Amino acid sequence: MKRRSFLLGGAVFAAACTRGPRLNVYNWSDYVAPGTVPAFEREFGVKVRYSTFESEEEMLAQVMSGNSGWDVVFPAEDFVGPMLKLGLLAPLRHDWIPHLDQLDPAFRMPPWDPELRWSIPYMHGATGILYQKSMTPAPTRWADLWDPRLHGKITMLDDPAEVLGACLRKLGFSLNSGDPSQLRAANAEALAQKPLLRAYLNAEARDQVVAGDIVAAQAWTTTAAQAMAAAPGHLAFVLPADGFARFADNVAILRESRRVELAHQWIDYLLRPAVAASIVAATRTATANAGAQRLLPAQVRDDAVLYPPADVLARAEWLEPQPVASQKLRDRLWTELKSA
Amino acid sequence: MRLVLALYALLVFAFLNVPLLILAVFSVNAGRFTSWSGFSLRWYQAMLADGNLMESAMNSLVIAGVSTVAATLLGTMAAYAVWKRKSNWFSGSLYLSLVMPEIITGISLLALFQWAFRFLRLQLGMHTVVLAHVSFSLAFVVVVVLARLRSFDPSLEEAARDLGATEYSAFARVTLPYMMPAIIAAALLAFTVSIDDYVITSLVAGIDSQTLPMVIYAMARRGVSPVLNAVSTTLVVALGVLILISHRLRSL
Amino acid sequence: MVLTLAAPLLIVCAYSMLSRGAYGGVELPVTPENYARLFTPLYAGIFLRSFAVAGIATALCVALGFPLALFIARSRRPNLCLALVILPFWTSFLIRIYAWIFLLRDTGLINTVLLRLHVIGEPLPLLYTNGAVVLGLVYGFLPFAVLPLYAVIERVERQDKVLLEAAADLGASSTAVFWRMLVPLCMPGIRAASLLVFVPCLGTYLVSDLLGGSKTVLIGNVIQNQFTASRDWPFGAALSIVLIVAAAAMLYAGRRGGAELA
Repeated sequence: MKRRSFLLGGAVFAAACTRGPRLNVYNWSDYVAPGTVPAFEREFGVKVRYSTFESEEEMLAQVMSGNSGWDVVFPAEDFVGPMLKLGLLAPLRHDWIPHLDQLDPAFRMPPWDPELRWSIPYMHGATGILYQKSMTPAPTRWADLWDPRLHGKITMLDDPAEVLGACLRKLGFSLNSGDPSQLRAANAEALAQKPLLRAYLNAEARDQVVAGDIVAAQAWTTTAAQAMAAAPGHLAFVLPADGFARFADNVAILRESRRVELAHQWIDYLLRPAVAASIVAATRTATANAGAQRLLPAQVRDDAVLYPPADVLARAEWLEPQPVASQKLRDRLWTELKSA
Repeated sequence: MRLVLALYALLVFAFLNVPLLILAVFSVNAGRFTSWSGFSLRWYQAMLADGNLMESAMNSLVIAGVSTVAATLLGTMAAYAVWKRKSNWFSGSLYLSLVMPEIITGISLLALFQWAFRFLRLQLGMHTVVLAHVSFSLAFVVVVVLARLRSFDPSLEEAARDLGATEYSAFARVTLPYMMPAIIAAALLAFTVSIDDYVITSLVAGIDSQTLPMVIYAMARRGVSPVLNAVSTTLVVALGVLILISHRLRSL
Repeated sequence: MVLTLAAPLLIVCAYSMLSRGAYGGVELPVTPENYARLFTPLYAGIFLRSFAVAGIATALCVALGFPLALFIARSRRPNLCLALVILPFWTSFLIRIYAWIFLLRDTGLINTVLLRLHVIGEPLPLLYTNGAVVLGLVYGFLPFAVLPLYAVIERVERQDKVLLEAAADLGASSTAVFWRMLVPLCMPGIRAASLLVFVPCLGTYLVSDLLGGSKTVLIGNVIQNQFTASRDWPFGAALSIVLIVAAAAMLYAGRRGGAELA
């Protein structure tokens, strides 16, 4: 009996290992509509293995070996440079991406990849404060999250660059500062704030703000828009006056990919205005696709949370990759903060 | 005194089981939140309709099945070998791997795989997950089977040999049947630790080997979801049935 | 065994002596720096806290588990009772933690019920506290303590029945029999239970993440962080080696002290 079940197990295992070739896409969670992948599979007659990650480190750890099996990944702007240096990205062939002309002009020359040789902006967002409308006075700057009256009712993101970033902006320094004394001063702010915090949460904060457990949370625009849709009328979102971080998630093809042409077809498919619009409608994210924005209902298109006006965006900074020395100091400060 | 002890035991049993019972109750709640809003199976439907969840559950079953069979075979042989010639060194390392913090097991296996794959052009995937699961469930199998063997009288095997049995048939017809209940228990234990593991699996998994606990973790990180209540209840019931079956097998 | 334990450990050991690559991975040259960093107050403090948390959880598991194991050993249906202890194990560890999130949050079941009953005016902060982390650990590891305790109590009460009865006959109160006879006789099982709970607790990171709201770090969190966000593999490897040495030392001491592990 044992031998038979072993053979059976082996057969199942072998079958599981030899599924036909298919496109392997590794994306952030909540970044496509439920119908996006099946429609692509039907149209191109291929299978797509679509999987999601919650943090870029998770993604980088997988693809770093250069032998991970993924074809298409979605690094944020501060990961494009490092991944390029590690030799992980394949050059894009623009002649295979006819819908590239749908890209929002604001994203045609991003500072991290001005010629779009390695990556194409997909979604974008910013970091701000999501809060209950009942909160008075309404927060306008990061400093408002240091208010002792909010004790136990605030969360910050569980992300060193974001927490230190908010503290740096509170003090008037750049988010990307590598200066040890500025970083230490920022960490002192974070330490002062920690007793007021309920927790450091990323996506879980959404549910807790919706349920009313939390009054104010440092949150990404996408999380905020989803929370506001779930609790209409109760929540508001502000991009702080003392400056904030912007991010853009980009689509890129890995050098290791053996299905480069299919990967380009997938990218071009995502850039089709109708496809991009359906994704935005389902996930409430901010697309970098101008054609899609025209197709969206006015109320989504004019959502000031997802598409902040230019004068607000003028206060924003893109997160940049840190050199090793300042990365090391930031790691240490983060550990100090967490263990305080 | 007896009564106090019984009451206390009742409290602890409640502490252990009531949280899961509550999840089961809320898995058939029509509403999303913590207030009762009528009976509904919608979360079970949502669970079955979730392709990702179902695929990962399938992966988990395949991985747990294959690694249980392999770990049970290897572990039983290892236990028999250890029992035959006592080795302190071996049993020390056995207990170490039994209590080793999972994160370290996972990281050291990942390091091993990555180092080995530089030479063999291989990828992380189902096979690395299965290898990892075999290696951590092996220790459980050895411990359970060895515990049974310790109460076995070796002279029985010798008696069988004296009566003309070959070494092989003495093992197969005397020792093995004695070990059988422990082997079944060990296989069951290997299966449960395999299907439950998140930490090690998430480190050594590749693109085709997302397991159920990995999906559960991603869901729990994104907030409370009633679908998780349904998944939890299904798991308890399914493993409960499995254990009942194995209990019947053991008493055969 | 060699393949699954020794070879990976050797690689981790080698990693711990190398330098970090800029974006993860390891590079030459060999350096003692990773171990030197361990002896700064920051990391020593984290180790101490991890030991304290694991110690509290272990003490609670043994203290809660011993009377329960005693009850099971004396009950007429021990198998049913054991099944009730093991039942929560049939679902995933993650779901067991998640169940507590569901119960403990401000709008969770406990607070909702207490508010409805007007016991409290506003929700108690239960989730994301140190108490929640210890609770999660006790909940997760209690069965690990109960099983070896049950095994030893059952054996002691069977084998040393005469001894226990003699003590009672000679006028020892039942409290005295419990503390001065039963507990010392069960020591091997208590040691085994402590080891089986303490060592895994020491390396945990999921519980402190999910129930502690990432506000406290235990050594497991620091290790996990080195291999993900911080991308400092050599330091993570050095921390792992120290943790392994601690676990092995405790195991050795436990076995020298006569812990019955199986």
